[in-house]
Amino acid sequence: MTASSARQINLVGGIITLLTLIIAVLWAFPIYWGIVSSLKPENEVVRPYIELWPETLTFEHYIFALTETQIGRWYINSIATAVGATILTISTSMLVGYALSQLRFPLRRPLYWLILASFMVPTQTLIINHFVLVANMGLLNTWAGIILPQLINPVVIIVYKQFFDQVPRDFREAAVMDNAGEFRILFKVYMPMNWGVTTALAIVTFIWSWNSFLWPFLAVTKTEMMTITVGITQVSDAFGVYYASQLAAAVLAGLPVALAYLLFQRRVTQAITLSAGIKG
Amino acid sequence: MAEIILDKVSKSFGSVRVINEVSLTIQSGEFVVFLGPSGSGKSTLLRMIAGLETIDDGRLLIGGKESQTLPPGQRNVAMVFQNYALYPHMTVRDNMAFGLRNIKMAAPEVERRVQDAARMLEMDALLDRRPSELSGGQRQRVAIGRAIVKEPAAFLFDEPLSNLDAALRVRTRVELAELHQRMNSTMIYVTHDQTEAMTMSDRIVILNDCRIEQIGTPMEVYTRPASRFVAGFIGSPSMNFLKGSYKDGAMTLLDGSRIAARVAVPEADTYELGIRPEAVKVCEGEGDTKGQVKVVEHLGERTLVHVHLSDGSAIVAQDGGRSQVQPGDEVALRFDISELHLFDSSGKAWHAE
Repeated sequence: MTASSARQINLVGGIITLLTLIIAVLWAFPIYWGIVSSLKPENEVVRPYIELWPETLTFEHYIFALTETQIGRWYINSIATAVGATILTISTSMLVGYALSQLRFPLRRPLYWLILASFMVPTQTLIINHFVLVANMGLLNTWAGIILPQLINPVVIIVYKQFFDQVPRDFREAAVMDNAGEFRILFKVYMPMNWGVTTALAIVTFIWSWNSFLWPFLAVTKTEMMTITVGITQVSDAFGVYYASQLAAAVLAGLPVALAYLLFQRRVTQAITLSAGIKG
Repeated sequence: MAEIILDKVSKSFGSVRVINEVSLTIQSGEFVVFLGPSGSGKSTLLRMIAGLETIDDGRLLIGGKESQTLPPGQRNVAMVFQNYALYPHMTVRDNMAFGLRNIKMAAPEVERRVQDAARMLEMDALLDRRPSELSGGQRQRVAIGRAIVKEPAAFLFDEPLSNLDAALRVRTRVELAELHQRMNSTMIYVTHDQTEAMTMSDRIVILNDCRIEQIGTPMEVYTRPASRFVAGFIGSPSMNFLKGSYKDGAMTLLDGSRIAARVAVPEADTYELGIRPEAVKVCEGEGDTKGQVKVVEHLGERTLVHVHLSDGSAIVAQDGGRSQVQPGDEVALRFDISELHLFDSSGKAWHAE
């Protein structure tokens, strides 16, 4: 390689690095701004100019969020509903995905198309139906009420179906010759061969559920039943909105997901790539 | 160990018939090979016995029990797959025990069978490994072990050697034959490799075009092929075919030579004469016919001589290992008339008496 061509490659690499850096800053800045603002006194936050570092550093908003609100209760609600939604979504989707992929029954294809089509429908358009339904079931202000509509997650079904489709037919036939029933084939052969997918899907489902706002916001009116994303809206009083306190609550809300992300970074990236292929 | 009887079984995929009224009896303890070109239906027939494909028509008896509607697990047969299909997340032991645990066999009995099979296949040391840590040949053994532990009425093999390299294939072939002798169990083996078929089987079932062309011992199908297809399919290099007409105990070939043929064909007509290369010898003086040498292949103990007759038809003859024949030579050929076959236009065969 000549010196000039090496320099050219370095130049291209440099430009790409610079671009990535700019985009990363654009993405990260709001998060930085939120954290910094949550560390400022309220009067500093509302100043009409940009201050990148607090003049007076304070943790009063965190103390406020942790002591004066029901944030502990909201955490429990969030954890319970997100874990519940994740477990139920994974277990039902895995069964549906397996049935669509491996079993032969009448109307299998139309059913698959229906599921495919259902994820073209934005959840928001169904939300009134969901509300009426859940209200009639008497499940408003309950964990079950928050969880149930979140279980409709065609992406997870489709990812499972695609992965089960890719398992060579020999494994199924060997298991059938080995006297295994459908449940044993699923749990002893297909699931263990696809653990990676299951962990990845569980992580994204958990994050989706943790971050969901619109439905929990509608399904819950009692403060003590709110999830943490909804709870943030409660950090205000009759005198108006307190930005710094709300941001402090938001940082606390995002913390567990951020930690989970740091722990399972590789899996999350994999999961996002998996569902991105379909979600587009 | 059990007898397997196929009684007029048929199978279609959509409107395409893939197995057409096949009847066949496999004796208890017999090693039978299904041999045929790809698309002949041999794998489908095996899978129908296994229960992996349904039987549209006809009956299947395994050990005297009507089995055509039983699910695969209840037919008491074990199958070894071409790609082994070992569960990658299980150890060798778990792979072998999986089928036994599925029928809730007691743990000590499972362990005993796994140990016995491992000892028989000399793979005791591999029991705690996973398939990814095994070589191709070892995986093959595990796949066979998984079949053995079930102590099935019959073993079904679906081209089990095709993923092994040539040397290992020869070794495993011998081991399989030994295993059969030791276990004395019914085995059905599908292959497109005639060497495997000839060396291992008690009987060969030759399939072509969704039906059975011939059933016979390896030597029967080699020396007395029932049809032109079998004659051409079995043997390497394959049989020579020469067009001609038969009249009064002799075939007149297209180049004008007359060959005495003691064959009981029903009428004088045009036939195809079939003769294996080892029955055509390069000779001194006047032979049955003559032609020009095109290619000479020295195989060590013998020499194959590719000759064009005067009418242009090609024939492969055999000469001794130290043959001096050169391409371009004119050579005389002598036919061993006791090894002649005649085939009529429908492919039916008559053999020299």
